[in-house]
Amino acid sequence: MKQIQMTKNPSFSLISTNKIIQLNDVWTSYDSKTFALEGIDMSIDRGTNYAIVGKSGSGKSTLLKLLNGMMIPSKGTIKVDYVTPNMNDKKFKKMMHTIGYIPQSLGLVKNITVLDNILIGALPRLNKLQSLLKQFPESEIKEAKRLIELVGLDGKETRKAYMLSGGEKRRVAIARALMQKPTILLADEIVSELDHVTAREIMDLIVDAQKKMNLTAIMVHHDIQLALEYANRVAVIKEGQKILEIGVEGDNIVDFQTGDMTNAEIMEMHFDDSKK
Amino acid sequence: MTPKNNIVIGIIVALLVIASYNIDANPLDFAEGIPNLAIILEEMIAVEPKYIPTALWAMFETIQMAFIGTVVGVVIALPLSMLAARNLNSKFVYAPIRALLAAIRTFPSILWAILFVIMVGLGPFAGVLAVIMYTVGFVAKLQYESIEAIDSDPVDAVSSIGVSKWQLIRCVVIPESAPHLLSQILYMFDYNVRQTSILGLVGAGGIGFYIINYIKFFEYGKAAIFMLVVLVAVLIIDWVSVKIRDKFIMKTQHGMEVTTK
Ligand SMILES: Nc1ncnc2c1ncn2[C@@H]1O[C@H](COP(=O)(O)OP(=O)(O)O)[C@@H](O)[C@H]1O
Ligand SMILES: [Mg+2]
Repeated sequence: MKQIQMTKNPSFSLISTNKIIQLNDVWTSYDSKTFALEGIDMSIDRGTNYAIVGKSGSGKSTLLKLLNGMMIPSKGTIKVDYVTPNMNDKKFKKMMHTIGYIPQSLGLVKNITVLDNILIGALPRLNKLQSLLKQFPESEIKEAKRLIELVGLDGKETRKAYMLSGGEKRRVAIARALMQKPTILLADEIVSELDHVTAREIMDLIVDAQKKMNLTAIMVHHDIQLALEYANRVAVIKEGQKILEIGVEGDNIVDFQTGDMTNAEIMEMHFDDSKK
Repeated sequence: MTPKNNIVIGIIVALLVIASYNIDANPLDFAEGIPNLAIILEEMIAVEPKYIPTALWAMFETIQMAFIGTVVGVVIALPLSMLAARNLNSKFVYAPIRALLAAIRTFPSILWAILFVIMVGLGPFAGVLAVIMYTVGFVAKLQYESIEAIDSDPVDAVSSIGVSKWQLIRCVVIPESAPHLLSQILYMFDYNVRQTSILGLVGAGGIGFYIINYIKFFEYGKAAIFMLVVLVAVLIIDWVSVKIRDKFIMKTQHGMEVTTK
């Protein structure tokens, strides 16, 4: 597979070819009759912004749940930083501290403030006494406040989470994930329900943070245009299978999985799929 | 109305008549008894005013018993409810705890009071213990039900960070179930004041002790005055609970702005 050079992020190819995530012929099933994912191969470089698109029910969320160990595959191997994801495994549980996972529902605690929601990301760093008393050190509170500013929620730190708008809630979820000091960020359709302007604001925010922190971001998107605009690579999933892995190269969209293709052909393939 | 309904109604009426006959309940007796109320009223007016401070003091003792019982009961109930919630524990933990709580709830507080009078002797302490037991059984059940009803999204999201069980409870479960807790505590306190008012009947302290004694000696006027004090106290507590509920709960549940300063 050839190394891509993104016009947007020319530095990425220089970072390393270190594969932070590798999936090898991964199959998974919820009911042991039908498969939600069927033979997924995937290999993601550290520091990449990787997007997953596909129509509803194609298996995108399932893929993210596998990556953070909330599910385990029925067949095949997954390595995240050379560890097999499994939330019941001690070694992987440590790694989960640094995987920021933002589910589609966001999973904010509604009745507590923005600041308290963000501080949840720092929980794994508390010692026994601090966590017994739920007492965060001053440095963590300072970091949380810095993130509140970073995600553009200045002045809202004492606001309860249920009082926020959809865009603001997403900013809190991002800040909570960044509070984990993550190496990997998983986000499930985080901008799908937002208007175009807000969606782009949120994406800019994530891409910015991602570059600064050298994060590997794996984001599920609904909109292939938006995915191509922000991601280095876009995997297209259809009925549990990865059918394309594309990226922008210069003015062209290139398929890295099946060889070269023209823009029109690729776009057609996807939109044919989404019309069904 | 279907024939089936008519049969059901017929059966219920028949049972009502049989049961009334068995317990000797006669509507005519009730009607004949109404003039007796006037006698009680007359006797009430004749009661010397010096009994009123005694009644108030007895009511105050009752409220204190209910207060201690509620607070201590809730403090014991909360950890038990965490252990009894199915979404936080394995079967081996929640099943025995639930069985214990169900056993505690089978006794009404007056029976607990009798048990504790036998154990620790007559007086308010036995009453307080009875209120604690009742509160533990009830609040723990209400609480584990509201814990089981909390949204699973934040629980899953925060679990995926790899936090400890305690951190999950402290930062997600408690805040998510807390709005129900306050109203449950208020409800319980309200209920406990009424309960405690009758625990005196078995010698477990509180205003009921006076009421039962006056009734024994046919001093219905005095008994009625003390009962009136209970009525007024319960109404006041009810009114205050509504105010507290409105202030803290309505706002947080309807998305109104709550000022934190
Ligand atoms: N909790 C679950 N139990 C059973 N089946 C599920 C569950 N979650 C998802 N599925 C099934 O797995 C498939 C993939 O779902 P999902 O990964 O959520 O798709 P996507 O995120 O792409 O919309 C679907 O057929 C869906 O019905
Ligand atoms: Mg999904």
